[in-house]
Amino acid sequence: MTQVQPAQIQTALQSLDHWEQIGIEERAALLRTSIQSLKDRPQHMAEWQISNALTHVGEAVILPGPTGEKNELSTQGRGVFLCTSHLKDDDSEHETALIAQVYAALIAGNTVISAGDFGEQITMLLAPTLPEGVIQSVDEITEDLIIDSPLIAGVAVLTSTDKATSLYHRLAKKDGLLCQLVEETDLVNLPTIANPNYILRFITERTVSINTTAIGGNATLLELGIMEE
Amino acid sequence: MFNAIEVLQPTFIEKPLNELWQLISPLYKADEAAWLKELLPLAKPTESELKNSTDAATKLIEKVRKDDDSMSMIDALLLEYSLDTKEGILLMCLAEALMRVPDKETADAFIKDRLSVADWASHAKGSDSFFVNASTWGLLLTGKIVTMDEAKDGKPANLVNRLVNRVSEPVIRKAMNHAMKIMGHQFVLGRDIKEALSRGKNYREKGYAYSFDMLGEAALTKSDAIKYLRSYEKAVEVVGKDSYKKGPRPTISIKLSALHPRYEVGNEERVMSELFESVKSLLIKARKVNVGITIDAEEADRLELSLHLFEKLYRDDAIKGWGLFGLVIQAYSKRALPVLTWLTALAKEQGDQIPVRLVKGAYWDSEIKLCQQRGVNGYPVYTRKEATDVSYLACAHFLLQEHTRKHIFPQFASHNAHTIATVTSLSQHLGASTTEFEFQRLHGMGDALYDTLIKTSGTDVRIYAPVGNHKDLLPYLVRRLLENGANSSFVHRLIDATYPVSELVGHPVPLLESRKSLSNPYIDLPIRLFEDRKNSYGPNIEIDSEWTPFKAQIDTFMGQDTQWRAYPLVGGKKVETNNTHTITSPYKLTETAGQIDWADAKTVTQAIDLAEAAFPTWSQRPANERADCLDRMADLMEENYAELMALCHREAGKTIQDSIDEVREGVDFCRYYAQQVRSHFAKPVKFKNFLGNEQTLLRQGRGVFACISPWNFPLAIFIGQVSAALAVGNTVIAKPAEQTSLIAVRAIELLLEAGVPGDVIHLLPGDGATVGAPLTSDKRIAGLAFTGSTGTAQLINRTLSNRGVAPIPVIAETGGQNAMIVDSTSLPEQVVRDAVRSAFASAGQRCSALRVMFIQEDIADRVILMIKGAMKEQSVGLPYLHSTDVGPVIDQKAQSMLLDHIKNMTVKGTLIAQSALPEWADKGTFVAPTAFEISSIDLLTEEKFGPIMHVVRYKAKDLDQIVDTINNSGFGLTMGVHSRNETTCARIASRARVGNLYINRDQVGAVVGVQPFGGQGLSGTGPKAGGPHYLHRFAIEKAL
Repeated sequence: MTQVQPAQIQTALQSLDHWEQIGIEERAALLRTSIQSLKDRPQHMAEWQISNALTHVGEAVILPGPTGEKNELSTQGRGVFLCTSHLKDDDSEHETALIAQVYAALIAGNTVISAGDFGEQITMLLAPTLPEGVIQSVDEITEDLIIDSPLIAGVAVLTSTDKATSLYHRLAKKDGLLCQLVEETDLVNLPTIANPNYILRFITERTVSINTTAIGGNATLLELGIMEE
Repeated sequence: MFNAIEVLQPTFIEKPLNELWQLISPLYKADEAAWLKELLPLAKPTESELKNSTDAATKLIEKVRKDDDSMSMIDALLLEYSLDTKEGILLMCLAEALMRVPDKETADAFIKDRLSVADWASHAKGSDSFFVNASTWGLLLTGKIVTMDEAKDGKPANLVNRLVNRVSEPVIRKAMNHAMKIMGHQFVLGRDIKEALSRGKNYREKGYAYSFDMLGEAALTKSDAIKYLRSYEKAVEVVGKDSYKKGPRPTISIKLSALHPRYEVGNEERVMSELFESVKSLLIKARKVNVGITIDAEEADRLELSLHLFEKLYRDDAIKGWGLFGLVIQAYSKRALPVLTWLTALAKEQGDQIPVRLVKGAYWDSEIKLCQQRGVNGYPVYTRKEATDVSYLACAHFLLQEHTRKHIFPQFASHNAHTIATVTSLSQHLGASTTEFEFQRLHGMGDALYDTLIKTSGTDVRIYAPVGNHKDLLPYLVRRLLENGANSSFVHRLIDATYPVSELVGHPVPLLESRKSLSNPYIDLPIRLFEDRKNSYGPNIEIDSEWTPFKAQIDTFMGQDTQWRAYPLVGGKKVETNNTHTITSPYKLTETAGQIDWADAKTVTQAIDLAEAAFPTWSQRPANERADCLDRMADLMEENYAELMALCHREAGKTIQDSIDEVREGVDFCRYYAQQVRSHFAKPVKFKNFLGNEQTLLRQGRGVFACISPWNFPLAIFIGQVSAALAVGNTVIAKPAEQTSLIAVRAIELLLEAGVPGDVIHLLPGDGATVGAPLTSDKRIAGLAFTGSTGTAQLINRTLSNRGVAPIPVIAETGGQNAMIVDSTSLPEQVVRDAVRSAFASAGQRCSALRVMFIQEDIADRVILMIKGAMKEQSVGLPYLHSTDVGPVIDQKAQSMLLDHIKNMTVKGTLIAQSALPEWADKGTFVAPTAFEISSIDLLTEEKFGPIMHVVRYKAKDLDQIVDTINNSGFGLTMGVHSRNETTCARIASRARVGNLYINRDQVGAVVGVQPFGGQGLSGTGPKAGGPHYLHRFAIEKAL
């Protein structure tokens, strides 16, 4: 059955390519332009997510292997992420955690749709300095449709264990790719969010293998033996 | 290893031929230092010999340097664009590809791509040679480069870039093509044999003789092989009529790989019949007109096969008594000397002289690369240039012996003044007359040296000269030249007047002896490819001394009398359930591999109970101890290699090389994860949290992990998932695919032997309903690793989500709709070889296998024709035979699904080709490799897991759209790109949403830790198996 997809998803999908292609350094620079307007703790968190991402997934890694080939491991965003909170209480209490979701998702190369009042605020803050469509906000009704869309790559959510369980159930019902659920349920210690590996939940990895001898040998190895003397 | 110095005894070659033959193969990857110690005495000069040869070489070089005119164009080119400069390489890249690009747009883009990255301007004034300047594009274009002001215009690279943009592209293209033609002219003596004979006259006047090399790409199809045979026949005919009287008659060199599409050890039967007949017919024609034929040397894998073929031809009545049928021996091969002794004995026995061209060798880089890729634990070639030189002199010493030269006519091919001088003085010392051997050199190279030599010595010099269409030949020659960049360095040092003569005339023996080690310490053996772990080992099945004993071990498990009897393994014990299933061999359904009891729901619960109880202890075990278990497991798999190979054959229908790769991957997974755990999980990790405070984390297992694996990599993926889960401290319930449970049981038995406690790992054979469902419904499952179809992954994920417990990590690796994009700069032979392997190897039953090939329309007709021809040569058959390329598909269900798809595509697309099936194919579950041309990837909605390839043509300008349609399929596993244009490759790479992208190679066979594997979108969740992030997903981090 064809579902009507919210227009925000199409926008987010269209913005993905460009946001991905500008690279992590450029994304970091753009995300940092508005960081000063954040309050103290959220600002630390935003900056920490950015620098953590630069350290962990910033540069392509050249992997060891046979001569005559080059193998490089890099990361990309997974696609469109919904960043939201399913806690009924005041968003402002959880601002640090919410900021972390959005910054981690964005720096990794995803485009973000954020929901709720907080979503609106963060979108107002970030949208002017980011390429169009990279961050958008939606109301709760649209959020519901987005959760059920097969086109999103994942949902980052602040929630309770029970709600996470039922959200997992709901996401698993969808067709298409296995939608990632990145949930944080401990709002005091933020064990998931404030962890250096949090960024890994927002990325997909890519290996590029190049046969560097395609046009002939590289003829450099023999010279190596002469170096020792 | 034999005592090499003994070859100098006349009695050595009196040994029985078979005895001498036995000396060859064991030296394939002999210990380099040990074997060189044997060779050194053979090459070592006495003091007076050393003085003589050094003096002679010095005189020769001094004379060469005095005589300016003798520098050839290629020498000049190499001097200016030495192959260790970026520009030199780029120039060669252009030469290799430009002439074959049929469409202007792609040619222009390619030129722009190459020009934009090099510093051409610095070469524009560097050489006086017309050719070099002609190749310095700026002069050809407009002359503007040299007049531009660098201070004003910035870096030369930018300049050229702007210039290229400014001058109209057709002008540049024309100039480039012109330059390529000039270059072709220099490398190639003539476009056909007539032109070659006529152009060769000047040199023959000078006293040179010729051997015409009809080189080119190896034939991939029967029709190409026939085409090459015709061109050899034509050459024989024309040369036969040559009436030039002075000097020795020209000969012709042939490349066996051009004369048969499957000149490989696996196809020995065809080589010894079909190829034998072709070559024999050529030899008969050549003998009639007395034109000598030389068989060229190729890759090390083919050496033994080439000798078998040579012997059969040489002994044939039609050839016997001729004396002009010879071959080439490569001195960089460790087997060179014993091959020469065998050849000498063969010639002695028959009484006909064999001409032998001794070269240093032309495939050095690929030999090293291949061994590292295959884990062959040794090299067939020496790793130092001076070691090859030592071997060359040792061989020369043998060849010039009085008892040898009666039977062998040595032809010394070298462009090194010192080698030439040493061989000359050796010949004098051994009393060989100048008519008892000759020198050889490559057309366009070493003119300076040999022009001088020919004037001063009475020895004949033969030029081996490439003949053929520039478009076909240049790519081949350029690749050979590039491969030997390091070896050709002598040439440019020779004519570089600033390079001291004394450094050019050093003897290789003292040089090699002065090294700290005889082998090159910078080229590690394949087993030591990785700094932090041992590489897995793979025997080379192309080499008799490697394959024969290995095969004998496998054979002990191949008889029907060997049947495996397996059970679920719970708590380290076999569980009899009486639900017994027989496992048949997919290639012959009447044969069985064994029997297995399936687990039931009760066994599942029992296993989870035990695993849950065992978790705290296992998880508390020091990470290093868990890692040690995995290392032991890796060693045990290698110790049980043969049995695992047999299981791969009999249970999964895997071919020999696939089975080797399977075991290797399993071994690599264990060692890689062991190393990862030691590095990242053994100690608590400290980091600064977002408030700047130091925090400590401990990485631990999560609990009971379920590992559900597929039949297509029944050992590698199975043990990969299990070892990852165990490594970080989880306990594991593993459910192997029901088709391939026997090998999984053996793997778990080995894992128990390796020290993993029985209550930590449990194996539950069965299908989705009996085992999968109860397993994934259990609330205690704390994580899942799954590899299989996208649909099953969704199903399992739903089951897990129905449990009403907190979400758990689901690591799913699923299917793909994998594409390959081929543009018109690519080399068709390479494309076809890689496409056929990517689509049909393992009967297409790899997640990574090629499904849709996109070919730029300008070259599509040619490439499709070649695919057709190459598919005809694919051999479908019994997987345990070396001659088999494609084995069966896994079972009847898979077979009928694939046959339905073929039926369906026959209507929707156009059949390109279908390989033949053996007559008895209905005894197993075979599907013939099949290729269709279709209009769009949109015709394919789901992955078809088998040997079926689809081909789509595209227009160059639509490349971006093509990438979009591939992305839109939703899958994102592998993609292949074939293009010489780096800009194009980078563009595709940046846009394609795939997990593994392969450029200018095949797209299957990812290696653990080297090419971490896994997709995105519908193709999987990540993290990549065999990559640095994988283990983290199996673990939980606790703040301390």
